[in-house]
Amino acid sequence: MGPGETERAGDVLVNIQRVTYTHWNQASPTLREVSLRIKRATLNVLVGPGGSGKSTLCDLFNGVIPHLSGGSFEGDVWIDGVNTREVEVKDLAPKVGRVFQDPEIMFATLFVEDEIAFGPENLRFDVATILSVREKLLADTNLAPRRHHLVWNLSGGQIQKLGLASVLAMQPQMIVLDEPTSNLDPAATRNVHEMVLSLRREGITVLLVTRELDEFLAEADQLFVMAEGRLVTSGRPHDVLREQGDYMVDSLGVWLPETSELGIALKREGLIKGAEIPITVHETLSMLEREGLLARLGADESGLSAVHRSTPTIGDILLSGKDLRYAYPGGTEALRGVSLDIRAGDWLMILGRNGAGKSTLASMMVGLLRPQHGELVVSGRPIQRWKVQDLANHIALVFQNPEHQFLTDSVSDEIGYSLLAHGFSSGPEVERQTGEMLELLGLRGVADRHPLALSAGLKRRLGVATMLVGKPQVLLVDEPTYGQDKAMTHTLMALMQEIRATGVAVVMITHDMRLVQEYAERVVVMSEGVVLYDGPSAGLFDRADILAGSNLRRTILHELLAAMRQAGLPFLGEVRRTSDLVDRLRVKDPAE
Amino acid sequence: MAGGEYSLRYIDGETPIHRIYPLIKLAWVFIVATGLFFYREPRSGAVMFVAILLTALVFARVPLSDIVGSSKLIFGLGLLLMIFHFFADPGQPVYRLGPLTVTDSGLEQGPIFFFRLSVVVLASFVLIWTTDIRDLMYSLTRMGIPYRYAFAVFLALRFLPVVQREVDTVRAAHAIRGRASRSGIVHRIKLWQRYMFTVLINGLRQAEAIAIAIESRGFGAYPDRTYVKTVRFRPGGLVLILVFTLLASVLIYIERAM
Repeated sequence: MGPGETERAGDVLVNIQRVTYTHWNQASPTLREVSLRIKRATLNVLVGPGGSGKSTLCDLFNGVIPHLSGGSFEGDVWIDGVNTREVEVKDLAPKVGRVFQDPEIMFATLFVEDEIAFGPENLRFDVATILSVREKLLADTNLAPRRHHLVWNLSGGQIQKLGLASVLAMQPQMIVLDEPTSNLDPAATRNVHEMVLSLRREGITVLLVTRELDEFLAEADQLFVMAEGRLVTSGRPHDVLREQGDYMVDSLGVWLPETSELGIALKREGLIKGAEIPITVHETLSMLEREGLLARLGADESGLSAVHRSTPTIGDILLSGKDLRYAYPGGTEALRGVSLDIRAGDWLMILGRNGAGKSTLASMMVGLLRPQHGELVVSGRPIQRWKVQDLANHIALVFQNPEHQFLTDSVSDEIGYSLLAHGFSSGPEVERQTGEMLELLGLRGVADRHPLALSAGLKRRLGVATMLVGKPQVLLVDEPTYGQDKAMTHTLMALMQEIRATGVAVVMITHDMRLVQEYAERVVVMSEGVVLYDGPSAGLFDRADILAGSNLRRTILHELLAAMRQAGLPFLGEVRRTSDLVDRLRVKDPAE
Repeated sequence: MAGGEYSLRYIDGETPIHRIYPLIKLAWVFIVATGLFFYREPRSGAVMFVAILLTALVFARVPLSDIVGSSKLIFGLGLLLMIFHFFADPGQPVYRLGPLTVTDSGLEQGPIFFFRLSVVVLASFVLIWTTDIRDLMYSLTRMGIPYRYAFAVFLALRFLPVVQREVDTVRAAHAIRGRASRSGIVHRIKLWQRYMFTVLINGLRQAEAIAIAIESRGFGAYPDRTYVKTVRFRPGGLVLILVFTLLASVLIYIERAM
């Protein structure tokens, strides 16, 4: 509470006092002395780097901690005046609803409309109430046409909406959403954000944990920032960014909207005098104008002076697919005529919404699925004549969850296994190469650890290491940065670039548009089993038709550039990250 | 990763078997299973197996690919069991394969065990493929079983596709790691262990997450709950039980009489 503000006890829905919590299988606390308050009918956003305790904090609201998770718990949590120690999880359900990152795990029935009714049925709502609430929610979420569909036949976005609807059906006072959009394409993400805003209008309190912060952040009433189990700062988003923006970007590596990052960078460089950090595109334009920077950017007629990027030579065709088709046994047509070449030294990102066919294509490239129609040639030989195990020497796939690929009990054995699998007879050669790989991927320090005991980031690196030892010509990586914080994302992407510099073609599957904007050279956009676009990444952001057709969106940085163009600044040249803009402003400083 | 077509779960449909009251189908599985303990000849098990297969294909319209997809692991296990019996049962030697002897009673007992396993499994699968678990749960509570216990049935079934998906993913992930040539049976067993371990660990994690998620939705908050949708008992389904009881009786009679 800021000074001078008064607060009535009835306004506060959540009051957390000095909570310290240690998981039963961990030595040090995951939450340390956390205290916070949340007022009724407010939208609260929680951010922080990976492992900072965000999900653990979410477990406090509906009593999963202390009732179901074990461990040691100190402090108090009051929800609507009730201490969570004194009631059970099921009794808190009518007060706080929790939407899980993967809502499929909470589905308890087979059909969409039964699913929405499940919660209120448990709470003994009367039938008439359940039916009327259900109708409203089906309409609000646009799920009405699918009310008789099986829950597993929904798209990623619909699953998320159904998760939300089934929780809202219990008419809770508050809902907690833990990274609801990390698995969603950009258009579905926007959709969820809009639903969240309408909830607040209806008087529901919302806590949203997310790393997809865009203009939406400007709408929040309160922003919480966590690091190492502590609540490091909280307040209105603009205030937090003004006071702690630098710290959040530099030390915590939190994802902020690129507009805010730009403001923070310009402030640090002394290029702006005002203290306010913008969030929306509109705020950013006014800031640039107010500070006289817009004119300077506009005066830049030499768009060609933009960032120079060295492009390794692209070589021979390694993989060539023509008119590939694949339908799953249930009849779902995942690929409907895909043609694609991958050449030595390619740096390719495959984009598209959930269910666009990306993963099916990847499975096909490594031989896990066979094309039912069309031709796929890898290293000069049709895919039908490859054995999956042999193909691994030519084209390797790193799974989204690397845990699935681990086979041994230590990091070095894991790499050793791959070497043996690739024909090394064991002995000193395996040892030497294992050492090299540990070094290359920075795994030396954890060589004796159990693969499953590694942190998420290290697991991914080990996943890459095991697939690299066969010296494949193509490395396929499925969503390598999924759920990772900014620092880990940049580390992983730097690693991909290093690998690519050795001449390996790197193919990444993703729907993270910021990643595309920052790193991609060639992008392939897939939608409904066909390729909509295959070309340079720079061209993609100007193709509104393709972005819309594939449920992708421009990044907020590109929104800003488009707005600048509209304001009469014919902005040319390549801008991949906020620092590119800052660089230009620095160069054009007349004082220099 | 690949698409997600998992065969061992409810298949939406309006077939005669779908329409049968859930408890009747449950009772049918028990009756079919009980009959198996009376058969003395492999032929009876085989007839029952074919009868259930026909029920699944013709009356429940379950695609053959789903039947094969879900059952191959169990049928494979049944075959192993059968071969084990060939050699392990005491009796008159029929063939010799090196140090191993195939006995006459082994040749008879083996198929009996194969059909015992396959028939029970296939019948339970027919129940899963054609029954909305919610309806089964509801009909169990109407019999006076508290809904939390009735729901245990659901949780077990809810978990099958999860395990199946896990198995598929791990198998694919392992396949593309390549195969170490030092193979040997010990190495193979170690790999198999790891395979089971990964599936088990991830399965347990999922189970815990599912339990927390369901409780967060008020499950078990009160001893009873409301139901917006009910299921009416329709006696027509009793025909299924009648036919199979008759079939089992005829099979037992023929065995005893001849």
